[in-house]
Amino acid sequence: MLPTASDLWSIGPELWLAGLGLLVLLVDLFTAPGRKVAAGAIAVGGLLLTLIPASAMLAWDPRTAFFGSYAVDGFAVFFKILTVIATALVILAAMDSLRSRFEGEFYALLVFTALGLVLMAGSADLILLALSIEFVSLTSYVLAGFLKANPKSNEAGIKYFLFGAAASAVMFFGFSIVYGLAGSTNLYDIAVRLRTAPQPALYLSVALMLAGFGFKISMVPFHQWTPDVYEGAPTPVAAFLSVASKAAGFAALVRMLLVAIDPARVDWVLLLSILAAVTMTLGNLLALPQRNIKRMLAYSSISHAGFILIGVAAFRGDFGTPGLLIYLLGYTFTQLGAFFVAVLVGAQLRSDDIPDYAGLSRRAPVSAFLMAVFMLSLTGLPPTAVFIGKFYVLGAAIETGLLWLAVVGIINSVISLYYYVGVIRAMYVMPATSETPIPEPPALQVALGIAGLGTLIIGLYPQPIIDLAKNATLLLRL
Amino acid sequence: MLAVAWIIPVLPFLAFWLIIFFGRRLPGEGAYVAIGAMGIDALLSIAILAQAVGGATYQANMVWAVLGDRALEIGYQIDPLTAVMLIVVTVVGSLIFIYSIGYMHGDPRYPRFFAYMSLFAASMLTLVLANNLLLLYVGWEGVGLCSYLLIGFWFERPSAARAAIKAFVTTRIGDTFMFIGILLIFFTVGTLQFDQIFEAVEAGHLAGVTLTLAALLLFGGAVGKSAQVPLHVWLPDAMEGPTPVSALIHAATMVAAGVYLVARTYLLFFGSPDHGALTVVAWIGGITALMAATIGIVQDDIKRVMAYSTISQLGYMMMGLGVLGFTAGVFHLMTHAFFKALLFLAAGSVIHAMHTNDMKEMGGLGRVMPWTYGTMLVGALALSGVPPFAGFWSKDEILLEAFHHNPPLFWVGLVGAFITAFYVFRMIFLTFSGPLRSHHAHPHESPAVMTVPLVALAVFSGLIGFVGAPWWGNPFHHFVEFEAAESVPFDLNLALLSTAVALAGIFTAAVVYYWKWLSSASLRRAARPLYALLVHKYYWDELYAFAVVTPTLWIARRLRVFDLYVIDGAVNAVGIVFVWLARLYRLFDLYVVDGLVNLIGWVTGKVGGVLRYVQTGSPQNYLLVIAFGVIVLVIGGILR
Amino acid sequence: MADYLPIFVHLTFVAALVVLLLTLHTLLGGSHPLPGKSEPYESGVWPIGSARERVPIRYYLIAMLFLLFDIEAIFMYPWAVVARTLGVFGLVEMLTFIGVLGIGFLYAWRRRALEWQ
Repeated sequence: MLPTASDLWSIGPELWLAGLGLLVLLVDLFTAPGRKVAAGAIAVGGLLLTLIPASAMLAWDPRTAFFGSYAVDGFAVFFKILTVIATALVILAAMDSLRSRFEGEFYALLVFTALGLVLMAGSADLILLALSIEFVSLTSYVLAGFLKANPKSNEAGIKYFLFGAAASAVMFFGFSIVYGLAGSTNLYDIAVRLRTAPQPALYLSVALMLAGFGFKISMVPFHQWTPDVYEGAPTPVAAFLSVASKAAGFAALVRMLLVAIDPARVDWVLLLSILAAVTMTLGNLLALPQRNIKRMLAYSSISHAGFILIGVAAFRGDFGTPGLLIYLLGYTFTQLGAFFVAVLVGAQLRSDDIPDYAGLSRRAPVSAFLMAVFMLSLTGLPPTAVFIGKFYVLGAAIETGLLWLAVVGIINSVISLYYYVGVIRAMYVMPATSETPIPEPPALQVALGIAGLGTLIIGLYPQPIIDLAKNATLLLRL
Repeated sequence: MLAVAWIIPVLPFLAFWLIIFFGRRLPGEGAYVAIGAMGIDALLSIAILAQAVGGATYQANMVWAVLGDRALEIGYQIDPLTAVMLIVVTVVGSLIFIYSIGYMHGDPRYPRFFAYMSLFAASMLTLVLANNLLLLYVGWEGVGLCSYLLIGFWFERPSAARAAIKAFVTTRIGDTFMFIGILLIFFTVGTLQFDQIFEAVEAGHLAGVTLTLAALLLFGGAVGKSAQVPLHVWLPDAMEGPTPVSALIHAATMVAAGVYLVARTYLLFFGSPDHGALTVVAWIGGITALMAATIGIVQDDIKRVMAYSTISQLGYMMMGLGVLGFTAGVFHLMTHAFFKALLFLAAGSVIHAMHTNDMKEMGGLGRVMPWTYGTMLVGALALSGVPPFAGFWSKDEILLEAFHHNPPLFWVGLVGAFITAFYVFRMIFLTFSGPLRSHHAHPHESPAVMTVPLVALAVFSGLIGFVGAPWWGNPFHHFVEFEAAESVPFDLNLALLSTAVALAGIFTAAVVYYWKWLSSASLRRAARPLYALLVHKYYWDELYAFAVVTPTLWIARRLRVFDLYVIDGAVNAVGIVFVWLARLYRLFDLYVVDGLVNLIGWVTGKVGGVLRYVQTGSPQNYLLVIAFGVIVLVIGGILR
Repeated sequence: MADYLPIFVHLTFVAALVVLLLTLHTLLGGSHPLPGKSEPYESGVWPIGSARERVPIRYYLIAMLFLLFDIEAIFMYPWAVVARTLGVFGLVEMLTFIGVLGIGFLYAWRRRALEWQ
């Protein structure tokens, strides 16, 4: 039994990404230290080219490749596009602030991570899933500890590694139980065979697997690494982890639960809704007293994970899964943008403290305005991207009878307003300590602009994104 | 003409972007652009009103997003209510924009001011034109944002920055309820279009408790935006903004948006069982009207008097809507917009001359500022409800409806009317009569660019009430009406009674503050507890600080401590407990048993030691939490 | 839950066995603590200095690289066994694999991971 040519066509974007990563690595090896930006430019260009085969796949009928182990459906394609865009933006944002001998490796690592994330979203086999999760984790550990001379970055890398290793171990234990129950590693086979499996064992495996996925999406109680790692890691990496890594984690979680576990009639809705409620509440309340923007964004990303989990918990309705996808896409642009402003301020002022954002509206008016937009979007105010996402997931909760969850979500939105507006207040209301304008470097500005446009366009005219999300969910279960 | 009504909100929106980008390079440093946009809007609105009076209505839709099998449409509509609101926003808005040229002259952020004001106008007009809850909500949040920006316009003043945050957060509480209400309606009816929602109410698809709940949730938004009890605390502080802002946003238009929302979705309130939702509206309005009026008596800041007066008058509008007086409430909204904008702008003129808000510094200004005095007097008479000024006609109608549908509220309203007349004339006498109390002030009449809008508004305040006068068959009633609730015909006896009450209020104010037969200090002494209660505004702020702000901050701090220390500490505690157990066992076996028990003691001690060793640093702690988490998940899943 | 009874029995036995063995060991084994017993084992000789010495990172690097390429080379054995069955496709696959490996090797080379200085 050999793979066919169509199998290879099906993983076109993945092959391209793998080649691109190697190419960036080679370019890095043969460029002089001062001109490593070339590697970044090639990476961005290559990533954008990936969008062509990826979007061509939107029109394909759902299929699997390599003997059912890799799914090529709307869902996977959606995450391919999301990951590639997020990676390209992160590289753009990093190009101006990151000047080191190892710059090229940074871009190569990001491209490889993107490859891993794409594989995660498409895996339809436990082994492939485990491998891709490990792939992503390994590159992410290196990225988190990338600033070798900075003890905080080292700490972030080590902590991320320890936590990730433990979480992966627990998750693989869950996988092994599933394999033991079903006798197959293929998700579609598992879906068929788990129907007769004993329920308590299934609960055990779901709980164990949630540890691993929960780690990737920073769900309470597997969230504790998040603030430490975001604070220590280079800011572009923190942006990347909080967006792309989280998205892929959700992709794997949703595929696992919906394709493999759900047919077994395991009722995990209550479990997930409680986790969602706890995650968003705890994340929010912990974000309130933060003064460091990266820690604040870390806790806020925990809280957003809770919101997105509502979409998973409410998967039975028409809005659950599309809501999750729309939320993720909107959140991607918004959160990236917020982190990019943190990149700018961090690089220019050498500070991540929110009080140091005072007077940013006069020192860097464009960035400050965009930051205000991002903060309002993260709060979930119209007309911004996250509003549409919140609208969908809360609607999904109401639709599936989880009214209490929607109420918890809305209360949390209100709480979150407090600390998001705190940033706006610092930028627009507090007196500036200095009036010197902050230079806004070009590549970062492009990245910021795209993030801002994405945030506003999705908020103002969401219909195309809704169609895309719907296309992605209809094909989910083969 | 009606088909191009969408251009009305677009014009100020374009003006906003133009001013933001080109600022001082524009004619009049941006002011003329803003005024031009508003002026054209005002002309369009008049044309639309003319067509609407002729009976024309219009509605246009486009699909904005498809949710499942339900399409979310956005669009706009023209009906009598919209036409009236358009006139209010654009005409009052244009006059205030013109006035702002003089008032904001020389401000370092002069163009920015007109940009924000234009954005506000765009949002408000969107809100008014919307034919669905979605677009209305967009406008609703837009005006909230502009309000935030404009209250904090002079953000160098910490009080202004604080007031801006307070206003934003307080109104957001109401907005949250409103948002839930919108979601509830959407998932019950499957649409956010007003006409389709109304059809569903009439067909009984949206009825009973759900309907009452939906109406009350929407009303929650109105309570926040229109500063009704218990969310009224933000509006007085919002007076930190420039006075034209107070006039346009926090008196004439934005705060009336809550009233407009109730009027727009009136069928939801009306259709709830026994008009239950309407009764709530009426009582909230009545209580607000009386409470805010009483606080207004003791304020010394001229703008705060106006602020409490605004809260009180909004309460009247709510009460009017609540006692089945749909037309009365909307009518009062309109008249109030004119006379309250007038009062605010006149107050602004006084502040412009005196450079202070404190009425204790003023006095005798009537002689130096005749135009301001005359126009403000017109506004005060209108607010007091003295015929034939505008406020009389609308307030009388509200009282009339209350008398027929809810007698207790009629008396509340009547007492409120007395107090209203009292505090507004207290303000007039303190400001314009007697000697000038400040020694270093040099008051002067304001420039024509400020007095001309005052005169124009005074003319409106004097005459606009006649559109609701009975001897022409009350044309306003036939224009803006809610068919299911027939309005009560004019009653001369009640009109005389309310006039008498207003005059009595003015007379009492004159006794204390003009003729000074009774000194205000002795009154204050005589009613010391009541005075303290009023000065502290019924202790609302203190209540919120105690019941909401402190606990939230407390919980947040505790939670941080929890995450950092408690989990760590808990595990340490387990270790310590094990060690203690070990010691206990050791003591125990010294006297009771050797051997096996000794072993157990040793083992537990070791376990405790090992657990403690594991807990020396935080990553280990984190890993332990994973284990805890999984165990909790498993147990929770199985015990479920 | 009856299905799980054997598992519980098993767990109980495991725990009991551990306790039993440790107890016997303590009771019968006796204990003669000497300072030398807690030192690292150095073939009966007293250790000189701490065992926690810093080793040059290059040992680690070389060891890692060796391990990596060693393991990757093993992949070629199973391929070689079925190389004829897999045919050209298998050959191309293996060449790609070696190519990727080669780039990695080149990387290590250019980064001077193979040089001692």
